[in-house]
Amino acid sequence: MNATQVDLSVKVGKLELDYPTFMGSGCYGSGEEFAPFVDLARIGAVVLKSVTRLPRLGNPTPRLVHTPAGMLNAIGLQNPGIEWYLEHDVKKFAERPCAVVGSVAGFSVDDYAYTCERLAARDEIAAIELNISCPNVAHEGETFACDPNLTANVVRAARATTDKTLIVKLSPNVTDIAGIARVAESAGADALAVINTVRGMAIDVETWKPRLGNVTGGLSGPAIRPIAVLAVYEVARAVKIPIVGQGGIETTSDALEFFLAGASAISIGTGNFTDPRIPVRIADELAAYLAARNVASLRQIIGKANVGFANPYQYEGDEG
Amino acid sequence: MLVGLHAPELVRVTRPGHFAMVIPPSGERAATALGIYEAHGERASLLFFEVGKRTRELGSLKIGDQLGLLGPLGNGFTLGQARNVAIVAGGVGIASVLLPAQAALAAGARVRLFYGARTKELLVERERFANEGCEVLVATDDGSDGHRGYVTDLLANAHDKPDLILACGPTPMLRAVARVAGEINVPAQLSLEETFACGVGGCWGCVVPLVRTSAQAPSFPPAERQGSDVVYARICKEGPVFWAHELRW
Repeated sequence: MNATQVDLSVKVGKLELDYPTFMGSGCYGSGEEFAPFVDLARIGAVVLKSVTRLPRLGNPTPRLVHTPAGMLNAIGLQNPGIEWYLEHDVKKFAERPCAVVGSVAGFSVDDYAYTCERLAARDEIAAIELNISCPNVAHEGETFACDPNLTANVVRAARATTDKTLIVKLSPNVTDIAGIARVAESAGADALAVINTVRGMAIDVETWKPRLGNVTGGLSGPAIRPIAVLAVYEVARAVKIPIVGQGGIETTSDALEFFLAGASAISIGTGNFTDPRIPVRIADELAAYLAARNVASLRQIIGKANVGFANPYQYEGDEG
Repeated sequence: MLVGLHAPELVRVTRPGHFAMVIPPSGERAATALGIYEAHGERASLLFFEVGKRTRELGSLKIGDQLGLLGPLGNGFTLGQARNVAIVAGGVGIASVLLPAQAALAAGARVRLFYGARTKELLVERERFANEGCEVLVATDDGSDGHRGYVTDLLANAHDKPDLILACGPTPMLRAVARVAGEINVPAQLSLEETFACGVGGCWGCVVPLVRTSAQAPSFPPAERQGSDVVYARICKEGPVFWAHELRW
């Protein structure tokens, strides 16, 4: 078998994609910013930067700190608000040669439902990602993904506003992500994005002050990859809906870990800040990897690393 | 360290003040923003100091190696009809001011370079600017060459008032340039430095508060409860060059 015969297409809810690659929300603008450097026809979907009901100034600076094997960000959902966005930005998304997924954030169940309904009604938007896990907007944003009742309420409310594919983005900053995943599935999510950033902080030892204007931030990049792989693995064992796995993916080997853990697709965010050619390279190399193993379709390897969990009292492996 | 690039396509579209996001040859994060130093014919170059892992990696490139980069990026300097240009460079900020110096000289303007660094050895490429036709005035923190103290002292005390100031360097120096420019009532364009992630306007990480009336201000509606006169602009996209009097930093 040669690489051109391998089927990399995926189905996430009603969303059918030729490539299993999403570009992570907040990392890729609306795709237009990267279009001079990347053939967007060779990626699956761009997830847009989150939009809220009202305009947001965003967090004070600095908003970024590079850290070992990753970075902290605290952008604070700077965006023009849904009304301005619908009027000025959304029509441009029709030109993208890949799927365009809208991202909705909010501070109340009503906010989410309102913004989701307005955005999902537009033909330019193929699907909606519900960002219930932004760690950078005081206590309000991430609360939804950290509380099963709030998760249920917000997903149910958004679900009622649209028939389009609804992807719910989960937070790793919880004790039991599989439990939250089950709740989101029951409330009507079509797919889950696993994971958002991990809360973190850096301090300037010269000034004795936090290095981010927002004090705390979200950690992304290879530093969080093992956390994300485990989260996907746990969620995949808990739900039947597809998972978009994300967290520090930079190479084909990284991507394969997520597919084998149970992700149907992957999302690349911070990786694009090292090299925007990564998503296309991963698609090419995935095809070659599968062809070399006589696997005709990427779908055949999803979740193949599922061996359950070792009982810590019986486990006799040599891990740590 | 000066890395020359055979990059005719880059040269063709590079304007003074543009920068590039250089992809690390090792593939280990993250891309590095560097000013485009030279751009002529088929050759562009990048000028930097080897101060960290990433710049050391770039410094170890060998002749014939390939280097991936995104560029040219950003909005650069605007010379207008300036006849008497003062360029203020601090440290590695020198890397972003050769192209505007050349453009101003080519337009027949007088160009003075006010160049500051910690010590004499770090005043790199000063002969290059002199050979191009700039008058070069230097300042060092330790007094090992030129004025002992800040380069902005030289600007403040310059006899012949410039009609345009262009500056690139560390943020404290740029703030001082903005203050001096206000005092002597000369318009100043500052090329800002900040931590970048994407470098192409996709992540909104590298922002600076800008007056809403600026031509460079994103046309976002005002946010509730957060004041209506200021909006955060992306340094990598709307900048990196901004008018000093339009910044609210």
